Parts: sequence; C-alpha cells; structure tokens
Amino acid sequence: MKVTVKHWHAVATWRWDTGTDQQTIDEEGDVCGICRVPYEGCCPSCKMPGDDCPLIWGECSHVFHMHCLLKWIGTAASKQQCPMDRRTWVTAERKVAPTR
Amino acid sequence: MASISSRRLQKELKEIKTEGCPVGITLLEAENFDKWLFSIEVMGESQYQGEAYTLMFRFPPMYPIESPAVQFVVDQTHQSPVHPHVYSNGHICASILGTDWSPVLSVVSVCVTLQSMLASCKKKERPPDNDQYVSRAPDNPKKTRFHYDDDTV
Repeated sequence: MKVTVKHWHAVATWRWDTGTDQQTIDEEGDVCGICRVPYEGCCPSCKMPGDDCPLIWGECSHVFHMHCLLKWIGTAASKQQCPMDRRTWVTAERKVAPTR
Repeated sequence: MASISSRRLQKELKEIKTEGCPVGITLLEAENFDKWLFSIEVMGESQYQGEAYTLMFRFPPMYPIESPAVQFVVDQTHQSPVHPHVYSNGHICASILGTDWSPVLSVVSVCVTLQSMLASCKKKERPPDNDQYVSRAPDNPKKTRFHYDDDTV
C-alpha cells in the first residue's frame, strides 16, 4: 500500500524551562508565587503569554514573572528582597539547562 | 481591566471554595474584592478555647504587591481577642501585616499566622499602650507604624 501525505497540521506546546521536571510540575503546578498564574500564562498586566511576559530567576533559585517581581522590587516595602526567602534579590544569569 | 488584586483574589477564593480553609478558619463573607470576613477559632487547648473572633481583610488595588489591611472586627456584637499584640479596637501588631509583608503570602496564610499567634498566648492581656493607642488610632491600621518588639507570642 502506498500512502501519500497531502496535508498535515503541526501542533506544539511550550513551557519555560524552570529546571523543574515534568512530574513535579504535574503534581504541584508551576505558578508565579506573586500572581498565582502559571509561569506559561502571563502576569496580570499582560494580555499575551510568551516572550513579552518572561520569567526572572533569582540567585536564590526562586522564579517569578518578571513583571510581578519588578513591581514588588519597585516598592519601598520590598527592601529589595526575594518574596520567598527575604534574601536580597539578585537576578541570576540564565543558565541554559542541557536539552533532554 | 480587572485590577491585580481582583485577579489574585479570584484565585484565592476559588481555592478556598474547592479545598476549604484550615481547621478553625471559616470564610464568612467575600462578596467583593474589597473586603472579606473570616471567623478565627483556636483549636485545642488555649487561652481562647471556645471563642470565635471575626477578622476583616481590606484589599488595596495593588494587593498582593501591597499588604492587605487586617484587623479584628469590633462592634456591638464582636470583640477583639485579649492578646498582648491586639488592641481593643481590633488593630493587630504583627510584622507580617507591616514591614514583613511578602506578596507570596495569602489571605489564608495570614489567617493561619494570626490563629497561631493566639494559640501561643500564655496570658490574656492587652498591649501596655492600649488606651493611649486606641484613643488616637487611625481607621486603617496600615497607617500605624507599629514597633515590633516581641516575637515570643
């Protein structure tokens, strides 16, 4: 039998590589601790997820929507601290994890 | 566009309704995203056994970047718990409501903290400056700069 493919639809999903494995994500859900929206969603100020609403990594290993974290760091009340561990926020160089 | 606070509070409310609150904490009223009421009871043996108090949350539009205003309800039928960090007008001196607020905290986590603040109380008494504070206290407890001087209870 000979099959000729005439037409095909490519479907893809994406997610930010937060260094968390898929199983943990399925169990706990991966949301921004500030707005509680999934990392792959966007912060409350944005309409479209993706490169326009990226994540930000701290040296302390905590991850947030960049816009959420910057709103917090922009307040005097934040004392420039990570919302999770209250250590001084230092944005981490993005380490590119090896592709699985 | 919905404010930041209403989006986040919608999520918190959904979680409360699907998963329920921790034991001793009951949602009394959440008709809008400006003000919520909870009932707080200390479970097990404590100074406040069998007593229930009403906690009021008022949310600024920038919640959770900005902290909520949290106090016990005091009126003809409600009183604030007698506790060294709770004023008779319902205002609470707790660092997480002020300088130690973090946007990863939530309504339920604040309720739990205040519940355990009551649970660990050894002696029912008002703050030493209660009368002085209450006589000139602002309506919103967030306008008060509390001095956190005791982290034992």
